[in-house]
Amino acid sequence: VSAGVEARAGRFAGPSLIPELVAIQAAHGWLPREELEALAIRTKRPLYEIQGLISFYPHFATEPPKPVKVAVCRDLSCWLRGGDAQMRTIAARYQADDDIDLHQVSCLGRCDIAPAAMVNARACAAVNVEGLVKRVRSKPLDHGVAGTGRRWPNDPYEDRADRYASLRAALGGELSGDAIVATLEESGLRGMGGAGFPTGRKWRLVAAEPSETKYVICNADESEVGTFKDREILADQPHLVLEGLLLGMVVTGAREGWLFIRHEYGPEADAFRAELERARGLGLVGTDVLGTGRDLLVDVFVSPGGYILGEETALLECMEGHRGEPRNKPPYPGTYGLWGKPTLMNNVETLADIPVILRRGAAWWQAQGTNGCAGLKFIGVSGNVEKPGVYCVPLGTSIRDLIATAGGPLDGKETAAVQPGGASSNFLGQADLDTPLDFTALTDAGSMLGSGAVIVMTEGTDLLAAATNVLRFFRNESCGKCVPCRAGTDKAVTILEAVLASGGGIADVDGSIAELEEAMRLTSICGLGQVALGPVMSVIKLARSDGAG
Amino acid sequence: MATIVADVKTVTLTIDGRRVTVPEGTTILSAATLAGIAIPVLCHDERYDPVGVCRMCVVDAGSRVYAAACVRPCDDGMEVATASDSVERQRRTLTRLLMADQPAPAEDPKQTTTADNELHALAIRYGVLDERATPDGLPCGVPRPADGSSHVIAVDHSACIMCDRCIRACDDIQNNDVIGRTGKGHTAQIAFDLDDPMGESSCVSCGECVAACPTGALVNKPISAPIRPRTELKQVDSVCPYCGVGCALTFHVDEDRNKIAYAEGRESPGNQARLCVKGRYGFDYAQSPERLTVPLIRRKEAYPKGPLSADVRGEGRGRRKPGGLVDYAEVLPAFREASWDEALDLVGQKVRAIKDTHGADALAGFGSAKCSNEEAYLFQKLVRAGFGTNNVDHCTRLCHASSVAALLEGIGSGAVSTTYADIRNADVAILAGTNTTANHPVASSFFKEARRKGTTLIVVDPRRERVADHADIFCQIKPGTDVAFYNGVMHEVIRQGLVDQEYVAATTTGYEELATLVAAYAPERAGQIAGVDPELIRRVARAWGEAGAGIIFWGMGISQHTTGTDNARCLIALCAITGNVGRPGTGLHPLRGQNNVQGASDAGLIPMMYPDYQRVDNPAHQATFETAWGVPLSPTPGLTVTEIIGAALTKDVRGMYMLGENPFLSDPNVNKVRKALSALDFLVVQDIFLTETAEFADVVLPASSYLEKTGTFTNTDRRVQIGRPALEMPGQARLDWQIILEIARRVGLDMHYDSPADVFDEMVAVAPSYANLRYDNLGASGKLWPNPDPEHSDGTVVLFGDGFPTADGRAKLVPAEWLPADELPDQEYPFVLNTGRLLEHWHTGSMTRRSFALDAIAPRAQVYLHPQDAAELGLGDGDFAVVASRRGQIEIEVRHSHRETRGSCFIPFHFREAAANLLTNDKIDPFGKIPEFKFCAVKIAAASVTAA
Repeated sequence: VSAGVEARAGRFAGPSLIPELVAIQAAHGWLPREELEALAIRTKRPLYEIQGLISFYPHFATEPPKPVKVAVCRDLSCWLRGGDAQMRTIAARYQADDDIDLHQVSCLGRCDIAPAAMVNARACAAVNVEGLVKRVRSKPLDHGVAGTGRRWPNDPYEDRADRYASLRAALGGELSGDAIVATLEESGLRGMGGAGFPTGRKWRLVAAEPSETKYVICNADESEVGTFKDREILADQPHLVLEGLLLGMVVTGAREGWLFIRHEYGPEADAFRAELERARGLGLVGTDVLGTGRDLLVDVFVSPGGYILGEETALLECMEGHRGEPRNKPPYPGTYGLWGKPTLMNNVETLADIPVILRRGAAWWQAQGTNGCAGLKFIGVSGNVEKPGVYCVPLGTSIRDLIATAGGPLDGKETAAVQPGGASSNFLGQADLDTPLDFTALTDAGSMLGSGAVIVMTEGTDLLAAATNVLRFFRNESCGKCVPCRAGTDKAVTILEAVLASGGGIADVDGSIAELEEAMRLTSICGLGQVALGPVMSVIKLARSDGAG
Repeated sequence: MATIVADVKTVTLTIDGRRVTVPEGTTILSAATLAGIAIPVLCHDERYDPVGVCRMCVVDAGSRVYAAACVRPCDDGMEVATASDSVERQRRTLTRLLMADQPAPAEDPKQTTTADNELHALAIRYGVLDERATPDGLPCGVPRPADGSSHVIAVDHSACIMCDRCIRACDDIQNNDVIGRTGKGHTAQIAFDLDDPMGESSCVSCGECVAACPTGALVNKPISAPIRPRTELKQVDSVCPYCGVGCALTFHVDEDRNKIAYAEGRESPGNQARLCVKGRYGFDYAQSPERLTVPLIRRKEAYPKGPLSADVRGEGRGRRKPGGLVDYAEVLPAFREASWDEALDLVGQKVRAIKDTHGADALAGFGSAKCSNEEAYLFQKLVRAGFGTNNVDHCTRLCHASSVAALLEGIGSGAVSTTYADIRNADVAILAGTNTTANHPVASSFFKEARRKGTTLIVVDPRRERVADHADIFCQIKPGTDVAFYNGVMHEVIRQGLVDQEYVAATTTGYEELATLVAAYAPERAGQIAGVDPELIRRVARAWGEAGAGIIFWGMGISQHTTGTDNARCLIALCAITGNVGRPGTGLHPLRGQNNVQGASDAGLIPMMYPDYQRVDNPAHQATFETAWGVPLSPTPGLTVTEIIGAALTKDVRGMYMLGENPFLSDPNVNKVRKALSALDFLVVQDIFLTETAEFADVVLPASSYLEKTGTFTNTDRRVQIGRPALEMPGQARLDWQIILEIARRVGLDMHYDSPADVFDEMVAVAPSYANLRYDNLGASGKLWPNPDPEHSDGTVVLFGDGFPTADGRAKLVPAEWLPADELPDQEYPFVLNTGRLLEHWHTGSMTRRSFALDAIAPRAQVYLHPQDAAELGLGDGDFAVVASRRGQIEIEVRHSHRETRGSCFIPFHFREAAANLLTNDKIDPFGKIPEFKFCAVKIAAASVTAA
C-alpha cells in the first residue's frame, strides 16, 4: 500500500457482497443468520465483513419485517411543518397495531410535501399515511411513478428526436473532447452537488489521467435535509442526465458509467432506467455504440441507504462493497476513485446542465444568470413557504425573490431566517435576504449555495431548536469513522438537548460547543463532521448580532 | 559515479521550521519522525497500514482543515506545523471527547493491570484525565456493555475508542478476520463475527488484538497470577514450548508467586512478535498441583504390572471426569516415594541386569521432541554409549519419519530447504495435508498474508480446514489418494511442457522413470481416484508449472500414511522437475510439529543415525563417534518406536527409559501398546506429570518443565534458539540433563558437563551442520543452521542452490505408484477416521489440558462429522456416539462440521477418555516406519442413553 492510500481495515478485496445481501433480503424479506453464514462460507469472506455491512446500511433488516412499515421524517423541513405532531398522531393511532413498524427516519427528499412519510416503498405526505396503510393491507403498494410532466426552461431539445445531439456529435468526431471541456470551462459551470468545483477543470483532470480503466458516476444520492431538486430533474429530464453522463464517459475515456441513486427514489430510478432503455434502443448505450467500436455501459446502483454516501468517497466505498466510510483525502476520486481507478463524479444537476451548455453555447448559459452570475439553478424551496417545490431560476436570484416565487412565507409571516444551501449551510437572518443565490455572494455572507436547497423559517421559529434538529441529523447520519465527528456530534446533541429541555436558549449555550465546533471543523475526515456544528454556531452568531444590533 | 538513489523522487518540505527531504509518498508522520519530531498517535502503529481515524496526529499543513499525519503524504514545499497552539488545542478536545466515555481511571481495565493505557498518557499530557469527574466535563454517553465470554480476553466496549488497531491486528497481522465495526455513527462499536460474544465467535484467541489495543477495551484475563505492570515483573526472553514454529516470546514473571503473569510475542526474523493461543495463554501447566515432585517406586503389591486407571484399562466412558487427566487417586497408591539415590540406583541396577542377561538390544529408550537439543544429545549418547544399543527413537517416528526418509533418499537432507516466511517470495505455494491454522498457527498467518499479497495459495486436503478458506485453489481430495493426485499434477506439468528441462538435466536423476510412471496418471484417472474434478488438477499443474517460484509445505496429512514416504517422494519430484529448489520462494518445507523435533533428530534421537544423520552402520561414522565418546558402539541400526512396542510384546525388548514420551496416547492401536508396556520387565519414566504411560512404570522420576530450564531448541526453519528458565522447579524435581548424567554414571558411562552450553559445544563438534554455533553467538532470536558466520549472519535461509548433499550432488526422483490405504472402509466399518490435533491442544494433553485457558476453550473430546452424515446416523450436534474400529471403540460427543468430507470423520487424539488411538491402525509405512494415523475404517452409532 502506497502512502496516502489507507489500510483496508476490514475492507476485503473481491466482489461486493451487497448484491448478495440484497438478494437474500429480497428472497426472505430480511437476513436470516443461516443465510449469512452460508454466504460467508460460499464466498470465503469473513462474517464480520457481513456484519459491518448489514449494521451500517439501513436497507438491511436482521429481523423478520412487519407487514407494514411506516417511516416519518424527523428533519428540519418536516419539523418546520409540524412533523413532530404528525408523528405523535400516527404513533397514537397505531400504538396497539402489531402489524405496523413505525419509526422516524432522516430526510426522505420529499420536503415539498412536508411533513413527509413513507408507507412501505411509497412516499407520501404524513397526513396520507392512514389512507395508504388501509390500502396496503388489502393489496401491495409499489413505489409509484415519477414525473411532474413539467417542461423546464433549460431543456435545449424542443423535439424529442433531437435529444442526444451533442453525444452524437462527440461520438461522430464532430465535437472533440477538448472542445467540450473548453466549452464547459468557458461557461463557468461549477458542481451543483455542494462543493462547487469547476466542472470543466474536473473533466480535464480525469481525461488526462493515463489509466486505461476509468469510471464516471452520477451522484444521485441526494439526501441532505431540504434537498430534492435532483429528484425532479431525474423524473422530468432523465435524458439530459444520461446524455451528460455519456458525454463524461466519452470525454474521459470511461467504459462504465453508473447512476448511484438513493433507494427512496424508486420512481426516479425507474424513470432513469426507462431512459436508459430508450438510449440503448437508439444505439447510444451498450457495446459498440453507433458502430464506433466504443462501449458505453451504464447501470443503476441503488444505495443501501445513508446520507453519508453522498460524500463522494463514501459512495465509492459503498460501491466497492464496504461500509460507507469516507476516505482520507488526498488522493481524490479523479486520480484514485472506484476500485482505485480515476473516476469522474458529478451531481445529477451538473450532468443535466452539460447538454444544455453544449447545445446552446457557453454564452447563452452565462446570459441566463442575473446579478453577475452565470447559468440556471434548480433550487428546492421548503419549510415555512406557501408553495414548497423545485424552482429553476437564474443563478444570482435573491433569496427574497426566490421565496416570493415560492408563494412567499407561510401564512404571511415575516421570514426570520433561511438555510440557503441545505442542512450544512449556515443560517442567514433577515438582514441577508437580499443576498443573491450564488457561490461567491453566499460565501461572503457567511453561508453557501450548497446543495440547492433553501429552507425558510418564519418568525416564531426557535432557531436554536431548528439548528439542534439539523445537528441531530448529522449525528444520526455520521458514519462514525473518525473520533471528532462520531463523538463530537453526539456530545453536542446531548449538551444542546439538555439546554432546550430545560427551557434554555442561546444564552445558555456554553463554550464547549464552540470548542467542539472548532475541533470537528479542523480535524474531521469529511465534510459532514467539518460542518455539523456550523449551523448551530451560525444561529448563536445571528442571535448575538441581533442582540448587538 | 552513477547512483541508483538519484532515481528516487524526493520531496522537500518544512516541518516545524526544519527542512526535510524524503522520498515521494512518505507520510508526514514518517517525515517528522525522521526529523526527530514526535507527533502523538492513537490509532496508528507502524506495523499496520494507516487508517487516520483517531485524528490525534493532525497537523497544520496549510489547508482549510488539518491533515492526519499518519496517512497524509508529504508534498513538495509543504509547510507543516505539528504543535501549534491550535493543533494542540484540537488534540486536547479530541482527548476530552474520548475520556468522557472511558471508565474511571481507578477502574480502567488496562491502567489497573499492565498500566500502559496510551489514551491515559495523552489525557495526562493534556490535563484531562478526570474528564468524567469534572463538573463542566463533556457528557458521558450511554454506557456500553462488557463482554466476558472469552476465556482469555476481557472486552469492555466503554473503553473502546474505535481506533481499529484490533481490526488490523486480527486481519493484517494474524489474518484471522474476526473483528470488525458494527453499527454506524455514535452507536458503532467493534464486533466479532455477526456481533457475537467473543467467546462464541470464530476468534482463535491468539491475543494479537490485546497486544494491539491502546486502551482498556481488550485486555488479557489473568491466567494463574494477577497481571501487573511490567516494571513489577521479571522479563524472561524465551521461546514458546509448543510447536515447531518456535515463536520468540517474553514471559513476564511474578517472582514472588513463582508464576508467569503473561506472555508477549517478541521480535524475531521468524514469528515477528506474533503468537497463537498456546504461546500466549498456555504457560501455566508447569504450576499444576499435579506436578511430580518426588521420585516414585512401584510398590510390590502393584505387580504384576498393568494399567492402574479405568481409562487406561479401556473402561472409560468418553465423558469427562473432574480433572480430565490421569486420576492420581487411582494411580498414586501403586507407588511409594523414594529418595533420588534409591530411585536412580534401582534404575542403574535394573538396566545393567537386563543388559547382562538379555544383551544390550533388550534395552531401549524413547526421548522426546519436547526436550532440548542438549537433552536429546545426552539421551541418545546414554543409550548408545551407556546402554550399548541403537534402540533409541522419539516421536518424530510418528510425525515426519516418512518425510525424512523420502528427503534423505531424494535430496540427502531431512531438513527444510527454506523457511516458512520465505513464502513471501513465492508465486505459488502448495499446502499439502497440513492443517496449519491449528497446528502451526503463526506460520499459517504468514501463509495467509502471502496470499493476500499475491501468492497463489493451493490447499490440498481431505478436510476443508480454515486455511482452505484462504485458498485460491482448494482440492478436497479423498483421504489416502495423495500419490494419485500429485502424479496427476506431474502428468499435466509434463504434458503442458512446464518441466524445467535444464534443471532436470543438470541436477536430477531418474526423470525418465518418473515420466514413464506418471504417464499413466492422466487427470481423468487421477481425479477419479482422488475424487476431484480433472480440471482442478490441470489448474494446479498450470499454476505450479508456470510459477517463477513455487514452494510446498506439508504436514502429517502427507506423512502419516502407509504410503507416507511415497507421498513425500511425489512432492519432492514435483518441486525438482519444475526447478523449484534452491532459490528464494522455492523449496520443500515439511512443517515440524514439536518445538524441537528438528533438533531432536539433528541430535541423533534416531535409531539408525548418530547426530547430524550420520549412519550407525557406516563404519567411518561409527569410528568418529567411538573416538568422540571413548567407547565401542553397536553398528546395528536400532528399532523404531513402533518396532520397539512390537519387540516389547515378544520380550525382545525388556527394559525401557522414557524421557517425556507418552506412547500410551500418542501411538496407534493403544490396546497393543497397553499389552506391550505391561510386558516390560522394567520401565523408568521421567516426566513432569503422572502420564498414562507412567501407570506401567517401575520407577518414575520427577523432571523439570520447559519453563524451568535452559536449553537450545531448533524450530522448523532450522532456527536454533535458547529457551531460558522463567520459573523455579517444584519440590525435588531435577533438571533432565542432570538426571541423564546420574543414570549414565550408574550404568558405567561417565559424562561431565558444567552447563547445557557445555553439552551444546560437544554436540556442535560432532554435528557439522551446527558448525560455528555457540550459546554466546545465538543472539536474541537465535540463528539458522547452517551458518558460516553467526556473529554477523542470521544463517542460510535457502539451501541447495548449488546442488544436493547426495553422493552425486543430484536429486533422485523416485516414482511412486498409488496404493490404497491399508484398511479401506467396507460395509461393516463404512467411515474413514482421520486423527490429528486441535488448535488449543498438544498431543496427549499433559500440558494443555492442565493449562487453564486451553482446557477451558476446548474441554471435550469430539468426533467431527459432516452434518449430512450425522443426520443420516441420527446424531445431533452434541449427541454421544460410539466410534469403533477393528481394534477398539470409544464413546464420544458428536460435533457437526462442514469442514469434513462426506464419509470421513475426524477425532483429535488428545483426550484419554476418548482416545482416538484406541481406534487407529498401527500398520506402518515400509520406509519411514510411520503408522497410518490418518486413515482407518470405523463405524459410528448413537451411544446408548445412560446417565452421564
